[in-house]
Amino acid sequence: MMTKTMPLGDGSLAPVVTGLAPSSSVVTSGSPSRHRFQSSAPTVFVGMSGGVDSSVAAMLLVEQGYDVTGVYMKNWSQDLPGMKCPWADDLADAKRVAVKLGIPFEVWDFEKEYREKVVEYMLAEFKKGNTPNPDIMCNQEIKFKLFFEKAMERGADFIATGHYARTGVTDDFCRGGSGAWQGEDERQNPCGDRGFGRAPEQKLSDRTPVLVRAVDENKDQTYFLYRISDEALARTLFPIGDMLKPEVKKLAEEKGLHNAYKKESMGVCFVGEVGMKDFLKEYIDTKPGEIRRVEDDKVLGVHEGAVFYTIGQRHGLYLDGEKGTVNDGLPYYVVKKDIAKNIVYVSKNLNDGNLWVDELELKELLFRSGPRPAGPSPRAAGANSRAAALRNAPSQNKSSSIQVRLRHRAPLIPAEFDGKKLKFASKIKRPASGQSAVIYAGEICLGGGFIA
Amino acid sequence: MIYLDHAAATPVSSKVFEAMKPYFSDEFFNPSSPYLPAKKVAAEYEAAKGVIAHAIGAKGSDIVITAGATEANNLAFTVLNTELIFCSGPRRSRPSPRGERANSAMGALRNAPSQNINSVLYLVTEHDSVRNVAKQYGGQEIKVLANGLVDMADLKSKITDETMLISVSLANNEIGVIQPLAEIGALVREVRMDRLKRDIKTPIYLHSDASQALNLLDINVARLGVDFLTLNAAKVYGPKGVGALYVSHEVKLQPLTTGGGQERGLRSGTENVPGVIGFATAVEEAKKHLSSNRKKYSEYRKILLDELQGYELINKKHTLDNFVVLCYNGIDAERLIFLLEEQGVYVATGAACAASKGEKSHVLKAIGLSDTQIAGSLRITFGETNTPEQIHEAARIINAAVQLERERIGNDD
Repeated sequence: MMTKTMPLGDGSLAPVVTGLAPSSSVVTSGSPSRHRFQSSAPTVFVGMSGGVDSSVAAMLLVEQGYDVTGVYMKNWSQDLPGMKCPWADDLADAKRVAVKLGIPFEVWDFEKEYREKVVEYMLAEFKKGNTPNPDIMCNQEIKFKLFFEKAMERGADFIATGHYARTGVTDDFCRGGSGAWQGEDERQNPCGDRGFGRAPEQKLSDRTPVLVRAVDENKDQTYFLYRISDEALARTLFPIGDMLKPEVKKLAEEKGLHNAYKKESMGVCFVGEVGMKDFLKEYIDTKPGEIRRVEDDKVLGVHEGAVFYTIGQRHGLYLDGEKGTVNDGLPYYVVKKDIAKNIVYVSKNLNDGNLWVDELELKELLFRSGPRPAGPSPRAAGANSRAAALRNAPSQNKSSSIQVRLRHRAPLIPAEFDGKKLKFASKIKRPASGQSAVIYAGEICLGGGFIA
Repeated sequence: MIYLDHAAATPVSSKVFEAMKPYFSDEFFNPSSPYLPAKKVAAEYEAAKGVIAHAIGAKGSDIVITAGATEANNLAFTVLNTELIFCSGPRRSRPSPRGERANSAMGALRNAPSQNINSVLYLVTEHDSVRNVAKQYGGQEIKVLANGLVDMADLKSKITDETMLISVSLANNEIGVIQPLAEIGALVREVRMDRLKRDIKTPIYLHSDASQALNLLDINVARLGVDFLTLNAAKVYGPKGVGALYVSHEVKLQPLTTGGGQERGLRSGTENVPGVIGFATAVEEAKKHLSSNRKKYSEYRKILLDELQGYELINKKHTLDNFVVLCYNGIDAERLIFLLEEQGVYVATGAACAASKGEKSHVLKAIGLSDTQIAGSLRITFGETNTPEQIHEAARIINAAVQLERERIGNDD
């Protein structure tokens, strides 16, 4: 691997890792090089959650010679019945690491904005009968918007997070040429000198940032990041994006970071172990309603409010029909919801048409700038703005080289996209409306949309 | 390890531990059981309560064993429920919306606020276990002076004919300031006499949380003039989860838990025999070494204050001997804690409790410290784990950590 420094718009230097092979379009850079800056080191504000990933991210940045400031984003601090919000402990964990690294540490309070942009959105979606993903919204609106903007105002060259993801850059010269590189090892990435030959004269902000899947396929978090802006991505470092989780943990242990042993937080941070249903109960007024069998409309029981149920769900149904006819031991699944009438439809038929589909309609599509698989001509795709990117979405192209991820950590499924609908070769279990379908071409995250 | 946070927790002393051991295994009987070995345990339990009570000039039957000081503080406040429910007059509570719960402590507590806005006065610097329950009863704060002492003029001006309970801790848990409780006790007696003369039936009681003081002050409930006094085993080298409330025998309380009627019906549940035996042993030890400990801690305090550099002393006077509260202006004391932790030195910020909730210390705020002063404050509390050598070493390590932080932020003065 070879290291170059690349001038930023403001004249400071950013390290860029380049491959060695002669031609391609994308260079990934999960972590910047292990280059030590001599003087006037670039400034990075790193989001520190108190977890092991962001702690190691901060540590790596310090080792690489950046001028690092740790920031705890205080997005939520409210306790729920039966659950104490762990924010103060998380903050202390983050701060302890910052002190150990000898870096400044700040708390940025985004509680008001988080409530408005993430929680309100989430509640509104649930009320509509959808199953939104607040983490995607948090990245779009808070971490890669407010945090990013504030860091830039404070004179940062970069922001960084402990996400498992990588960034790459393309430029007009090689974009779209041979399509996205899809190899397993980014060090063998054929993109390199040809693409970066002109890099020194080019401002980073002129280059199109590309969101690239993490090396650790099991931890890849690009699913949560597909909606973040180019502006933010161009100035984002993902220091652990080319590491495996066990490596991260091992490094934390070796360096004596106490949170190496911290239990990993699961699910939505502010809901925690209480679960989404209990959270929603606190914030949404609901009425009990009927559970009906989809085949014959027969009322089988009562539910606590249709918004609490997700298509495909089989747990937590209170069915009280006649013994032997309703409760024969086989589970019922939620197959349909009528939010207006507050009715939940269930079926025992795992092959119910509502559960299995071979196409999904997407809304609020967001295609990232940069390369796309065998898309329109390379030159046409040259625009950098999101509007242009949307115009240039592979609309007519029945691309066969895209894959879709329908849940975080779910396998990638080959699909075709006609600009509105995803089409699958065989039927898939339908994800809940409001969840995201994220589209990839090999390593590269092209964008995605919400499932209608 | 140099442990300098004895106000947060003390280790169980070996003597206490040894005394407790038989009651976990051999002497495990339920004191309420009818056979002889159980009766023996019951007698030993009562004797242990006598020892605890005796240490504060009371009888064993005057104290209620609780699971710590927080419960004891909450129990003291139930005097308001008994008064509100059983007394006549303008304070009688309105029929409650949760009528079916009005006779339970929680029910009464929930209904307590608003109509009794004038019945509770509490010192602004009280621990949360007093503050939060006092707030539920609509309690009013009593101010403190800049030195942390109660503002007697403010207290006097706030006592009305409605006032039923005054709560002032004997020694503050964050800054160690010792309150002139006997003076407050005398004032309460005056108010009582005055009400008697004017035929006002409303009673007035004085409660004090003495959790921090049992091994550092000579406590006598009659001399202090308190009706309730909270004690805590965990701060005096006894086990955690054991406390006691002294209740003057004229006062009626309402139990927080009901059941088998143990502890005069005020605290049902099988007695924590090992805990109370341990508590009694700890109290005996504390009393035995009271004056020598005070002398020892004063010396530690002097060593530390002589050898530390660039600080401002917060608790200059009227303080427990083992408390040193410092302020390093411009420094973030939380960072110091983490730096010191790496060196095996354990101290607290203004209040460990406040810090863990991400709040600023209400005590340091009440004595008029600025936000930067609060952020830069450390609480160091000596105890039986310390030696003079440790104090010298701690001073060296703290100085180095402060220096490191000052260099980091480019402020070397």
